[in-house]
Amino acid sequence: MWGNNGPVRARSKLASEVSSINRTPTQSTTAGPHEPGDPPAVQLDGVTHEYTAGSRLRSTGREPVRALADVSLSIASGEVVGIRGPSGSGKSTVLHAIAGLLVPTDGSVALFGTDLTDCSGRKRLRLRRQHVGIVFQHFHLLPSLSARANVALPLVQLGQSKATRRRRATALLERVGLGDRLTHRPGELSGGERQRVAIARSLSTDPDVIVADEPTGELDTATSESVLDVLTSVADDRAVVMASHDPTTLAWTDRTITLCDGSIVDETDQDEPRRARPAIGASGGDDP
Amino acid sequence: MTDDEPGPNDRTRPRTHGDPDGRRRSRTSGLIRIALARFRGQLTGVQSGKSTAIVVAVALTLALLVVVTGLALALVDGGGTSQTDADVSIEPADGGSLSSVNGIESPRLANATAHTAELRAADGVDRATPVLVEPVAVRSETASTADPSAYTRLLAIGVDPAVDAGSVAGLPLDALGDGDDGADDADGRRSESGAENESAAGTLGARSAGLVLSETAANRLDVTVGEAVVVTSGTETYQLPVTAVEPTTGDDEAPVALVDRDALMTFAGSADASLADRILLWGDEGAAERAAADAYPAAAVEPTDSIHPAALFENDLALATSLVATIVALVVCALFIATTAGMAVAEDRPQLAILSAIGFSGASRLAIVTTAILTTVIGGSVLGVVLGIGVGYGVNALAGVLFATGSVVVFHPLVVPYTVVVAVVAGLLALPYPLSIAARTDVLAAVDG
Repeated sequence: MWGNNGPVRARSKLASEVSSINRTPTQSTTAGPHEPGDPPAVQLDGVTHEYTAGSRLRSTGREPVRALADVSLSIASGEVVGIRGPSGSGKSTVLHAIAGLLVPTDGSVALFGTDLTDCSGRKRLRLRRQHVGIVFQHFHLLPSLSARANVALPLVQLGQSKATRRRRATALLERVGLGDRLTHRPGELSGGERQRVAIARSLSTDPDVIVADEPTGELDTATSESVLDVLTSVADDRAVVMASHDPTTLAWTDRTITLCDGSIVDETDQDEPRRARPAIGASGGDDP
Repeated sequence: MTDDEPGPNDRTRPRTHGDPDGRRRSRTSGLIRIALARFRGQLTGVQSGKSTAIVVAVALTLALLVVVTGLALALVDGGGTSQTDADVSIEPADGGSLSSVNGIESPRLANATAHTAELRAADGVDRATPVLVEPVAVRSETASTADPSAYTRLLAIGVDPAVDAGSVAGLPLDALGDGDDGADDADGRRSESGAENESAAGTLGARSAGLVLSETAANRLDVTVGEAVVVTSGTETYQLPVTAVEPTTGDDEAPVALVDRDALMTFAGSADASLADRILLWGDEGAAERAAADAYPAAAVEPTDSIHPAALFENDLALATSLVATIVALVVCALFIATTAGMAVAEDRPQLAILSAIGFSGASRLAIVTTAILTTVIGGSVLGVVLGIGVGYGVNALAGVLFATGSVVVFHPLVVPYTVVVAVVAGLLALPYPLSIAARTDVLAAVDG
C-alpha cells in the first residue's frame, strides 16, 4: 500500500502501462499539451438544475427539485478532481452535466470552450461520443458481449473498422491488466475486473474528459486501489472527474470539491501533488 | 456558423477521418454484430424467456401457415396423382379437379376417348391418354369375403393401357400391359369395341388386363405380382391380376393403382360416359399445347411441370384458404411480436441507455433493436418452416392411412421464402411499438438505476 505518503506514491507497473496508452486511435486529434490561455477542459458557470415533475424518477410530482444551485467550477486538462458530498447533494448531476447527458435549466457547461447548453442534442451526443468517457458505479457493461467487444463498443459508432476496434480494445485491456480476459463476458469477471473493463471502454475513443461516478462504490479496498491506479494514471492530458463519498478514493485526486444541497460548499487542494506522470503517448510507436 | 460546426477554439474536434462510406459500412456491420450478439445472449442467457417465446410463437404460427398453404396448393395440385412425365395436361378450366380433398365431385372432361384420339393424330403429339381418378375398394383375392376390413381403399388412376411409355402418379404406363384386343394400330388408337372378359362376378372389357400397384398399395393388400385382387363396386365385384408392383417414388406414399380407364369407369358405374379428369399429352410441348387448345378450347391447357403457387389464383377456394392463412399468420405474429418484444425492450432499457451514454445515436440504437427483433422473427420463421413441413408430412401419412387419398398437403420450394417474408412483414408491422419504447428510454433514469 501507499502508507503515509498516500496513494500518489503507490504508482504501480500497471499504472505505468496504462499511462503509455497512445491517445490517438484515429490520429486526427488536435489535442496537445494544455497551453496557458486555452479554455479549460471543463467549465461550469452558474449551473442550476431542477428536476421538474415527470421528467425524472426523482421528481416528486409536486414541486421541482433543485439538484444544483449556481455551481461554477473549472477543471483543466491533466487534473484529477474529486466531487464529494452526501447522497442527493448533486454529485451525479454535475457529472451528467459535464457528460452532456443532461442540459441544466440555467447556466452553461463548456468543454474546451464549447458550450454544451447551446448545442443541439445531436451535437451534444457527438461531443460526448468523441470527447467524454464515462465510468459508472455499476459498470454497466453489456452482458452478452465479451470484455473486448464491450471496450470496442464506442468505436462502432465512430465507424472504426473491425480490425481497428479489436486492436484498440485488446491493447486497452492488456494495459489495464486484463489481457487474458479478452473473450470473457462480464458475468465471468470479478467486480474489479469489470470496472477495469469499464475504464478501458471509457478510454477507447481517447476522450479528453473522463467522468467516473462512484468508480469504487462496489469494490473492496484492494480492488479499489487497482482501479483508481488505472483511472488516475490516464489523466496526463485529460481531465478526470470522480464523484465519491469515500475519502480513500478522493485521496487520489488533485482537488476535491464538496457539494451540499446542490451547492459547492468547499474546495480543497490536496496537500501533496499527485504523482508526476509521463506524457501520454510517450511510448511512441505503441499504437493500439 | 451552424450548430454542428466547431468553434474557433474548439478542441472538441472530430476524431474520425477517412472515407465516410467506409465508416458507414463499418458502423453498420458493427451494429449488426452487436444486435446478433445480443440476440444470441438473450436466447441463451438467463433472460431468454421472451426471445424464446417470440421464436416459438412465430414458429408455431408460421408452421400453421405452411400447412394451410400446403392444403391450398393441394387443392389445385391433386397431390401425388398429378405426378407425371407428360408434357402437357388438359384439365377443366376451373382447375382443382384432382384435389385429394375436393376432387370427387369436380368437373370432368367429357367425350375424352374421342378427343384423345384426335389429339394423338395431331402433329407433334407422340402419345396421349385420358386420366380418370376414382377411389375404389379392393381386397386380395385370398382375403375373406366376409371380412369388411379386408377391403382397402385405393386411389385408382384410369389410363389408356395402349400407351406404352411414360408415367402417371409415379407408376409406369407400360407396366399395365396392353390386353386390348380392340387396339387397332401400333399407336394405340382404340377401337370402341372389344371382346368381353368375364370376371369373377362383373363384366369388364377384354383390354382390362390388370392393374399396377404402388408398393404402398401392394403392402396394404398383401399381394404380389401375379396374384389377383378383387375390386368391389356396389354389389358387383371384379377380379384383376396384379401385373406389376412399383416402388413408391417421391414423398407421396398414398396407395395408388394404375388401371384401364374403361374398367375404372365400370367400377364407378359410369361405363357409358367417356369422362376424364384430364388428358395427358407427350411430345413437342408447343405442338401439344396447340393441339390441346384446339380440342378443348374452353379447358385449361398447361405444362405439367410441378405445381406453381400462381395456380392458387385460379382456384377460389385455394386462394381464399391461403389468403386467410396469411392474414391470420400476419396478425397473430405481429401482435405477439409487438407485445413480447415490447416487454423485452422495456426490460432492456438500461442497456439501451448505456449505448446512448457512450455515444450511440438514437438511429443506431433503434437499428440494433430492429435487427435483434427481425433476427428473432426470421429464426422463428425458419423453425416454423421446418415444423410446418414436418407436420405436413405427418398429415399426409395420416391421410394415406385413414383415407387412401393422395397428398393432402403439398409443398413447393417457394413456400420457404414466402414464409420468411410473411414473418418479416409481421415483424415490421410489430416494430413501431417496441421501437417507441426504445426511443422513450430515459438515459439518466436507466444509468442511475
